[in-house]
Amino acid sequence: MHSGPVRRDDRSAGFFDGAARGELMLRRCPSCSAWYGPDARGCPDCPGTEPGWAASAGTGTLVSWVVAHGRPGPDGATPEPDVAGLVELAEGPWMTAAVEAPAAELRAGLPLRARFERPSEGEPYPVFVGS
Amino acid sequence: MDTGAAIAGLGITDVGKVYGRSARSFAAEAVRLAADDAGLGLADLDGLLVSAGITGGIGIDLAQDLGLTDLRLLTQMNAFGATAGAMVAHAAMAVMSGTASAVACVFADAPLRPGTSAGAAYGGRGGSAGEWHGLQGYAAAAGMRSVNAMYAMAARRHMETYGTTSEQFGAVAVGQRAWAAGNPRAQMREPITLEDHQASRWVAEPLHLLDCCLVSNGGVAVIVTSAERAAGLARPPAHVWGWGQGHPGQRMTRGSAFGLRTGAVTSGASAFKMAGITAADVDVCEIYDCYTYTVVITLEDYGFCAKGEGGAFAASGALGPGGSLPTNTGGGQLSGFYMWGFTPLAEAVIQARGEGGERQADRHDVVLASGNGGILAHHATLILSPHVKGS
Repeated sequence: MHSGPVRRDDRSAGFFDGAARGELMLRRCPSCSAWYGPDARGCPDCPGTEPGWAASAGTGTLVSWVVAHGRPGPDGATPEPDVAGLVELAEGPWMTAAVEAPAAELRAGLPLRARFERPSEGEPYPVFVGS
Repeated sequence: MDTGAAIAGLGITDVGKVYGRSARSFAAEAVRLAADDAGLGLADLDGLLVSAGITGGIGIDLAQDLGLTDLRLLTQMNAFGATAGAMVAHAAMAVMSGTASAVACVFADAPLRPGTSAGAAYGGRGGSAGEWHGLQGYAAAAGMRSVNAMYAMAARRHMETYGTTSEQFGAVAVGQRAWAAGNPRAQMREPITLEDHQASRWVAEPLHLLDCCLVSNGGVAVIVTSAERAAGLARPPAHVWGWGQGHPGQRMTRGSAFGLRTGAVTSGASAFKMAGITAADVDVCEIYDCYTYTVVITLEDYGFCAKGEGGAFAASGALGPGGSLPTNTGGGQLSGFYMWGFTPLAEAVIQARGEGGERQADRHDVVLASGNGGILAHHATLILSPHVKGS
């Protein structure tokens, strides 16, 4: 990732607290135990429940990805592109996440695991790398 | 005998890089043009359905701008790019139930400003002051900075699953540009080649610039009335044979068909059944084309080719001038103009009437118009014909 710092908001506090501990946090329904992505707002099967946070194993596979090419900066140099992946976690949910892998190795089904980046400014965040 | 509803009037303002006018101004002009086209006065309208684009510049107060009084139907609708089809269906049901007798459906938007790019006009996520907030901020920082990126994610999944290629997407762009050459309203009429497509910059890989639609200012309106009344009006009616919607509500989790299957499956089947046709009966397709990929997957989901073969179907030349399934004959939103679902709808009306000029398809007894909204989340289908339904 080549952009500025990521800041928490109320809905993402549990996610970034987990990242600080080295844990990939997902949402989990307290009633039916179904797993959801970290941005889920509720469990459609259990109205009225508030999904809590639960730690994922932090492993998954690549479903799809986008290569975000930057524009040349003031010095004329084009930054290395970012790769955003759609990752299917072992627990089932998909999440959009930063992926670090050589472009030639990207493919659907690529096994991935989360490691955690701790920038000097902003929240720590997961980056998925080949496992 | 109830022979259903028909589109009796079509109004299209100047579209494209048209500056210094508001969406309200475009919308009012489009309705006036459509009523005039039908041979109706504004006082003959008793229904108005309004669809605003990205800037939200119009609403039901458009009725006041037009001086419309004693309306029996007035509302704003939004299913994003699927709105046009949903509006015509709603208007047709209103006409057939007696709720209203002549309903204007209008879309207008004016996101473009002089000196700003189409991408900036459409609000890519720039991250104010270089900061990103929350989980959406994290995704944006990772590279998901625009709707383009979300469609790129869907397109890549299709490519990985079915072997669809960027060159096959390019065939859609090249074919539609060839159609646009015959459309005086099209913003982009210079021919392009597959090499041009491949050399155009990445917007969000795997989508090149020439995979992405334009952004336009302007307005489009249609007038829906009964088939019986339309027969006595100024222009050849485009009879509404069928409609459908599909909102798959896919969960982003294991087993999801995101990027592989859209609401066109449900929407198309509903519309075909109501119209009493199959895909094989469709002569002309006007497919919602926010991206080349959207055309490929929509054609598959309607059953014009097998699932996964949309790319090869496009690359065969079937969609362009002279092909077996004339598709996006005005250049679509890639090369014509971007008025959400009113781009395919307007061209479908023109083709059904046989008024396409040098781009007119030889056979146009059955014309399909599609709409697609959100990230492949909403779909609408219309089947139009110059012939009375059941005739």
